[in-house]
Amino acid sequence: MQTFHNIGTSTDWIVMVVYFMVIMLFGSYFGRYTKNTSDFFFGGRRFSWWLITMSIVATGVGSHSFVKYSAKGFEHGISSSMTYLNDWFFIPFFMFGWLPIIVYSKVRSIPEYFEKRFSPSARFLATILLLLYMIGYIGIGFLTLGKAVIPMLPEAFTIFGITLPVTLMGAIIVIAIITGIYITFGGQTAVIFTDLLQGFILLFAGMLLFFFGITYLGGFDIFWNLLPMEWKLPLADFNQPSNFNFVGIFWQDAIAGSIGFLFMNQGLIMRFMACKNVNEGRKAAAVNILFILPISAIVVGNAGWVGKAISVASPHIVSPTVSPDQIFVVVANIIASPGMFGFIMAALTAALMSTVDTLINATAAIFINDVYRPVRLFLKRMTVSDIERDRKELRAARYASIGVTAFGVLAVLAFKNFPTVYEAHGYFHSTLTPPLVVGIFLGVFWKRFTPAAVITTFVGGVALMILGARYPGILIAPFDHGIEMNQAHPYSYIRALYNTLACSVAAVLVTITTRLQVKIISIIRKGQNKKIIMNAIIGLSIVLFFVVLLNISNIYIQCLSTAYILILVPLAVTYFVKYDETINTNGLTAGSINIARRLFKGDEPNDLVGEKVIVHFKQVEGDENVVHFSNEEMTTMKAKTGDLVYLSDKRKWMGGLKSIHSVFGSPHNQTGTVYITPSQFKHGLFVEGKLLDAEKEM
Amino acid sequence: MELFSHTWLPFIYLYGFGGILFFLGIIITVKAGSFDLNRITHKKWMWVLLFGFVWYLMMHALMTWAALGIISVYTVPIVLLGMAAVFIAVTLMLKRILKA
Repeated sequence: MQTFHNIGTSTDWIVMVVYFMVIMLFGSYFGRYTKNTSDFFFGGRRFSWWLITMSIVATGVGSHSFVKYSAKGFEHGISSSMTYLNDWFFIPFFMFGWLPIIVYSKVRSIPEYFEKRFSPSARFLATILLLLYMIGYIGIGFLTLGKAVIPMLPEAFTIFGITLPVTLMGAIIVIAIITGIYITFGGQTAVIFTDLLQGFILLFAGMLLFFFGITYLGGFDIFWNLLPMEWKLPLADFNQPSNFNFVGIFWQDAIAGSIGFLFMNQGLIMRFMACKNVNEGRKAAAVNILFILPISAIVVGNAGWVGKAISVASPHIVSPTVSPDQIFVVVANIIASPGMFGFIMAALTAALMSTVDTLINATAAIFINDVYRPVRLFLKRMTVSDIERDRKELRAARYASIGVTAFGVLAVLAFKNFPTVYEAHGYFHSTLTPPLVVGIFLGVFWKRFTPAAVITTFVGGVALMILGARYPGILIAPFDHGIEMNQAHPYSYIRALYNTLACSVAAVLVTITTRLQVKIISIIRKGQNKKIIMNAIIGLSIVLFFVVLLNISNIYIQCLSTAYILILVPLAVTYFVKYDETINTNGLTAGSINIARRLFKGDEPNDLVGEKVIVHFKQVEGDENVVHFSNEEMTTMKAKTGDLVYLSDKRKWMGGLKSIHSVFGSPHNQTGTVYITPSQFKHGLFVEGKLLDAEKEM
Repeated sequence: MELFSHTWLPFIYLYGFGGILFFLGIIITVKAGSFDLNRITHKKWMWVLLFGFVWYLMMHALMTWAALGIISVYTVPIVLLGMAAVFIAVTLMLKRILKA
């Protein structure tokens, strides 16, 4: 396979350095709006849909997309980016299930949801799985970044007479240091605004590259006619080849990947949490998936398609043997002029950094919320002052970002031996998402789903997945839809179907046998040796899990061990976990959204549709929790005292950066003016003399 | 037959399984009450959801026909732009009607 070094000119490097400096300055400017952990992680829940939509572009498109989709585009054509066009199927579940629940229940992380909905032990296991998922995702991001910059670097540097070879891991470590510095001092607001800028630049750079490619080839007709028919089809062949087939990718991406991305990617969830309300989150999701993703599909894959067309017309310019993961850089260098190539590469690498930044920020949020706080609570080291606690948490969040970055670099080792980033990412999604995907999905949409079932999904489901990975020819083959098993990387994609089914079966079986478990446990409770029995069950479950994990004995013993895990773990959970279905599902399932809204507001929601008003503001001392409007404006908004209100700077282009959420206080008679306190003025970042937009929330 | 496995078989599988999941999602959320069709804003979302499904179905169908040479490749963006224009017009109209 042909690989490259030293691509690009000094002009390109200058453009790249300037681009990075501008982006870092832009992010640092908005980093000053980070005052506490809420701002650091969630951007203060205040942004408009369009700002979040564009910032999601940089997160989604930037995430290893240019490199991996161009690689597959070169090998297989337009179907390379088919995964961009299959996210709509789960949107009803997301818009009207998961999104309102995470906003109204005020959870700060996905594991916190598991604690509220199930138990602290479910949260503990969810934290482990989610941290593995997030760190793995960061690892994939770093791997892609490394592969993207390697072709531009020389094979070795000579400094003071010492020759230092340029290696993939070396490049990744340098990139990780730069990324870590930026996120550590920026926070979520900085990331959102940097991503906003980069979202536009990315789409522009990608389309520009396509335009250059078409021009280079002599027009769209020539490009289209050069592509073989198979390269023009929007979907891959149903079940071949093993490294790129429709059915495997459908289960890996359209099912596990889409639910994983929409439901358990803490980075994306935090973007939606940064929206000013649920409806804005829905708009951001809809516009992004309906219109931005199809454009993004062209943006990320076109270098590969153009590369294929050039390789058909002029194989001496682009050889068919070029390393697929390098095709993006190779094609960009051929069709773009010096400087412009630097700009495209800067946009690509900056966007990748953006994705990694988002993930690092999100993983740090999980660490603070689900490890740091519970541990401090356990050690009874909670400081009395909120300000002091927040200061310490912000510092811990920054240290956590550094730690997560380091683990992300180590995670690269698990993926770097896959032939392409695409396959590494597919394997990663298929393997790590199913337990959490099943846990979240059934938790939200099935009220009967119990802590015993979710914990068995995490333990027993994982045991079944390990067995599948170890014996793919026996366990995954029945679901392979005719896909040939690649001995080096067996069933990279279709294993998602087996893993999802394995976790779902464990979850459903345990849920529907809840009464039986309760009956057995009530018998055990009546006995005198109940503690000994339960400790024996836990001990045995741990031993059996390690039999599977450490590959002790043969397949029959391991399958038997897994079966016992599926029986014993629910019993242990039923015995130890206190769970009341009515209390634990209140406001945390799709069937109780109205309760969630009531809990969020603290009163019955007011759904009367009023109009927005534009007002001046006046600072007055008073209750920090309320704002006061005139009677006339309250009537226009159809609001009453105690309803929730959102106040923002009237300048729409600010996207809600200068805004606050508050509660309607008792009205006054000064029409056209809202009374706010100096503290609200400061928190909302309002500017004296500027008008405010006000709208009733509920 | 080989061509079928690269063209309409994945299309049928995608919109067969995907369609089941999509409509199941609507039914479950409506039954659960979280997607409340009595609320004005939610009525508008039903239109957006259904449009989205047809939008992607058409996109894949048009691209497959274009690849097979049944229609010109230029037909794809023209039809999709037309659909987007209809979507925006109907959404704005619904917004006005529901507000009134």
